[in-house]
Amino acid sequence: MSSETGRPGVGTAGAGSPWILEVRDVKKSYEGGRIEALRGVSLGVAKGDFLAITGASGSGKSTLLHLLGGLDTPTEGSVLFRGEYLGGASDGAACITLDAYRARFAGFIFQSFHLLPSLNAMENVQVPMLGSGAHHANREEKARALLVELGLEQRLRQYPTQLSAGERQRVAIARALVNEPRVLLADEPTGNLDSVNSAKILELLAQVQERYGTTLIMVTHDLDIAATAHRHVAMRDGRICD
Amino acid sequence: MRLSFVSFAWRNVWRRRLRTALTLCGIGMGIGAFVTLVGFSRSFEHAWLEMYENAGTDLAVVQKTFLNTSVDQSAGDVLRRIPQIEIAAPMVINMMAVTPEVNTLVYGWKADTFEFSALNILQGRRFRDGQQEAMLGELLADSLNKKVGDTIDLQGSTFTVVGIFRSGSALETGAIILPLDEMQNLSSMTGKVTAYHVKLKPAPAGVSQAQWQKEAEDAVEKDLPGLRAVPAAQRAANNQLVLLAHAAAWGTSLIALLVAALGIANTMAMSVFERTKEIGVLRAMGWSRGRVMTLILIEAAALGAAGGGAGVLLGWGALRILGALPQTASIASTTLPVQTLLEGLLMAILVGVLAGSVPAWRGAQLSPVEALRHE
Repeated sequence: MSSETGRPGVGTAGAGSPWILEVRDVKKSYEGGRIEALRGVSLGVAKGDFLAITGASGSGKSTLLHLLGGLDTPTEGSVLFRGEYLGGASDGAACITLDAYRARFAGFIFQSFHLLPSLNAMENVQVPMLGSGAHHANREEKARALLVELGLEQRLRQYPTQLSAGERQRVAIARALVNEPRVLLADEPTGNLDSVNSAKILELLAQVQERYGTTLIMVTHDLDIAATAHRHVAMRDGRICD
Repeated sequence: MRLSFVSFAWRNVWRRRLRTALTLCGIGMGIGAFVTLVGFSRSFEHAWLEMYENAGTDLAVVQKTFLNTSVDQSAGDVLRRIPQIEIAAPMVINMMAVTPEVNTLVYGWKADTFEFSALNILQGRRFRDGQQEAMLGELLADSLNKKVGDTIDLQGSTFTVVGIFRSGSALETGAIILPLDEMQNLSSMTGKVTAYHVKLKPAPAGVSQAQWQKEAEDAVEKDLPGLRAVPAAQRAANNQLVLLAHAAAWGTSLIALLVAALGIANTMAMSVFERTKEIGVLRAMGWSRGRVMTLILIEAAALGAAGGGAGVLLGWGALRILGALPQTASIASTTLPVQTLLEGLLMAILVGVLAGSVPAWRGAQLSPVEALRHE
């Protein structure tokens, strides 16, 4: 269920918009335009929504997730969070920097977990708060509470190499949640897990999304997994196809 | 260890233990060389200052040229007529071999020079002018195992040791003092001296000591064109031996520091490259470019500080050894060179930050998406 939502670059962005996240006619190309990853995508995501984005390799689904997560900027078009342009606006409209957006409003979960090998589970969860001025006691308290909530109370001091794949992904989820994001972006979060752990992680994500009212956007190539989402958009050749 | 920004940086540095250890060795050697060489040249300068201060020397009268080694001895008569000057003592200084392995400073003094007041004669007596007699500093006498009544050969001439003395200056306690005329003969400087060491009369009432000294300096330059009167402290810092020692020490140290900086730069560049994906993760988690850059700079500074700490200890140890070796004991001071050690440590951190700045900047410029795709 995609949604066409207005023209890109409109100065009154977001006024009365129902979307927490919105992309407007976004294009993304690489190598001087030789590779077109997105060819004009418009999409709105409501607050508290659980959206699955599917597609084959090279369909543009990960590129779209990167733009929604503020990891990258579009070549053309706009991305808006709560009506504010991500990364700046050319006409003086309200905007939010990508760093601030990622730090305060977005949390990422990756297929390969990307935990830092020199840090244990507790420390990995604290990394988003390091250097942000958060007191160490608060950091530790939040990290511990999240890990306990995710069933890792016995694994707090274990290093990534001492954790199973499912445990690592749960640590990564705790890390993504530690700054209390409004939007959780997951890129193939079960791609490196067996079916049992995949099911557990999906259940966990659904619980988190429900409990915190977090907007969850998940990229997957697995239609069964996509079926667990509230909404589903499929992509092909850089466009939303259904 | 509780996780903090700094401990996180240190753990990143310590992940590649062998590479980090090798880098620390490089920095340690560089800073060690700095502390040793600069510390040695400074202790050399300090020893000169002590020598002048202990003897009560106010001015040294030397040639105006940089390599000022020769003053006509007749200048002494002119100096003694200058109203501000109480005593003008001629002296010759040279470096001579006392054994095939040991070179030492040798002074030529008049037997009645005021500079003897700074020496404590432990055994024997003062030498007599015109006699082949020598006085040995305590340190040198110990290392050569000489006592009063023994002989010592210098430049093919044999001198009888008539006294062993102690001095507050390392330049004297490891040195030999000969009668001036004998030293002039040994150095082929008949009628010439290296310098005149001058003691001023007390300044008259109403005239400051500084003004009095300045008047003496002006009078020397007026009455003895070609010569200059240098305040003792300035002579200690700016005599040609000290200047050459400083130049050699700094030049060599800077090369060593450059090598250390290249080591840090290489380590940090490799580290940033290897952690490209991790930097992408940090950026994805909201770390700003500035925070990433700060992290990498702290890592580089930590490398510098750790290597610098090791280098400072190494350098201090080397200075202690130089202070104990007979070949160098006369020059090296065994006093803890706090300023040089602190400078070494600060320089190591500065070198670390400078060497890490380019890798840090490059790391901070990484696009999160490109970094996450990095394999």
